[in-house]
Amino acid sequence: MANSSSDVMAKLQALRDSFAAQLPDKIQEIEAVGETLCGGKCSETEEDEALKLIHYLSHKLTGSGATFGFGAVSDAARTLETFVNGMLDHATRPTTAQRAQIRGYLEGLQQAAGKHDHKDGANAGQESAIPMPRVPENNGEHRLIYLVDDDPLLAQDLALQLGNFNYTTRIFHSLAEFRKAVRQAMPAALIMDMGLPDGNGANAIMEIQEGRAAPLPVVFLSGRGDMEARLAGVRAGGAGYFTKPVDIGAMVDALDALTAQKAPAPYRILIVDDTPSLARYFALTLRGAGMITEVVTDPMDIMRALVEFAPELILLDMYMPGCNGLELAMVIRQQEAYVGIPIVFLSAETDLNKQLEAMRQGGDDFLVKPIQPDHLISAVANRARRYHILRSFMTRDSLTGLYNHTTTKELLNNAAGLAQRRNTPLAFAMIDIDHFKSVNDTYGHATGDRVIKSLSRLLQQRLRKTDIIGRYGGEEFAVALIDADATRAASIMNEIRVSFEQIRHRVDGREFNVTFSCGMAVFPPNGNAAEFNEAADKALYEAKRSGRNKVVVADSTMLSGN
Amino acid sequence: MTTPVLNRILYVEDEADIQAVAQLALEAIGGFSVTICSSGREAIQVAPGLSHDLILLDVMMPDMDGPSTLKALRGIAQTAATPVIFMTAKVQPHEVAQYKEMGAIAVIPKPFDPMTLSATVRRLWEEAHG
Repeated sequence: MANSSSDVMAKLQALRDSFAAQLPDKIQEIEAVGETLCGGKCSETEEDEALKLIHYLSHKLTGSGATFGFGAVSDAARTLETFVNGMLDHATRPTTAQRAQIRGYLEGLQQAAGKHDHKDGANAGQESAIPMPRVPENNGEHRLIYLVDDDPLLAQDLALQLGNFNYTTRIFHSLAEFRKAVRQAMPAALIMDMGLPDGNGANAIMEIQEGRAAPLPVVFLSGRGDMEARLAGVRAGGAGYFTKPVDIGAMVDALDALTAQKAPAPYRILIVDDTPSLARYFALTLRGAGMITEVVTDPMDIMRALVEFAPELILLDMYMPGCNGLELAMVIRQQEAYVGIPIVFLSAETDLNKQLEAMRQGGDDFLVKPIQPDHLISAVANRARRYHILRSFMTRDSLTGLYNHTTTKELLNNAAGLAQRRNTPLAFAMIDIDHFKSVNDTYGHATGDRVIKSLSRLLQQRLRKTDIIGRYGGEEFAVALIDADATRAASIMNEIRVSFEQIRHRVDGREFNVTFSCGMAVFPPNGNAAEFNEAADKALYEAKRSGRNKVVVADSTMLSGN
Repeated sequence: MTTPVLNRILYVEDEADIQAVAQLALEAIGGFSVTICSSGREAIQVAPGLSHDLILLDVMMPDMDGPSTLKALRGIAQTAATPVIFMTAKVQPHEVAQYKEMGAIAVIPKPFDPMTLSATVRRLWEEAHG
């Protein structure tokens, strides 16, 4: 590598920023051509040229939009491109209806770009800007652990085990060595042996912490488990205390908690209002409070937004042409998946009876326009928070915190739909822990649970935030790797497989290793999500049948119908 | 057969944004040395004077598109045998076959992931020479 990864990321971000800055001009350019075309005062040749230009410009935007992480812009541009392409194929002069449609698509494009008009909004996680690399060195600085222990064998072994969980460990055998290093660079966390030949670990930590504004996260390691020793650890600011031999699972849990950077996921708010300027105003207000928003100006589009955006609250305008807010609320409520979602009506309606009627139809609150920004924010945030918590109980597996079976399936379906429309690859992997029953039988269920947790943690660490990771059942996991082709997905899963195999599980002084088998299908060859799922299942069966501890990618014979 | 070294790449792409991100991806991540041309015509003028190991060609460019550029390059002695990879947003299987018939060794779908573009290019290069 010619450049460090973080350097490349910074440059990519700079490019993305500059693309974002030029985006309004690019769209303006297409709109100007559209204006000429739709003005209806062109000759046939001029019309043809305008169409070709729109096609060309939207084609460019489709590609560059997606490259720079502006997925919505890319999608909107693709819709326009496809439509104009169809017109060009027929080589007839555009009809009034077609002109109107182009105008509509241009508006859609404008709207998609509007989502990005505030850089902060885009960075708040609306869409992953530039694809994050999976390489561990990307966040290496957060994953660097200093380990101070005078036992070289124990230190080596611990470093090796932590490596499986993406931690880089620097080992120091004496306090003197460690003191020197800590002056140069600070690790993300520190594992300190309590008793070292050249001094007491706890005392050394106290010294170091004194000179620091924010304390360095530290866990202690000791041969002693008595109260006195533990208390010394706590007094020195230790966030954890481990006795030797170390339970690697618990250690990683502690390190994960100490080095976690992640802020809680922002609330997702769907705004349905037929007045684009108003909708945008609400969106801006809520985004300013750190929420993610999606705007729908045509109530008929709401189904797609519900599925794809997966909102945690819907802000609904009462009066809209075509379909009013009350009807829309009923349509939403009549679907099982959305029975619990908070719906907040927004309207200029001040008649209390009408407001109550709206609540009866399934509204949770009624806000009267015009509304103070802080009032809007708190009304929305409070309800979204409760739903957020409630939903995490419904969608997450309690042992691992991963998505549960139902949710994983739903998310997979959505991802497959999205991949098909965007024509991007999607890899789906089924993972099953090998001989799990004998782990349970030999070491007990508590140990079995720990093995399951260790795999879940490994998956979470090695895959991207945008990937879908679910616990499908007992010892079975399902993973969807967004935008990954077969080669890439197989190599990622293989790396995880090797890491998992190397983890040594420890119980009552006994150690054992566990492996998993993985079957994978890559979308799209053809077929739907269910077939795709089945193909992965067949590949998993094949992985098991042919000896376990391997990753098998489904071939065409595993797709149903063959 | 040993795989020839891949170092110098000519990238033909009319859009400045994509040029920048591809150059960064290929140079900073892949360590390749990259020449950028903004049109097929420019490529035809520039390519014969420099010896490139590989040419990356955007399919859809105004004036002279990727396939016409390829045809023209094949007519020039210095670039007649230089391997070419097409870059395009449209990748239906039959189109890939068409592009390969024109003499491209592979097709890379757009949009590409800047972090993996170099690896993809290298893999396709190795496959073509494998």
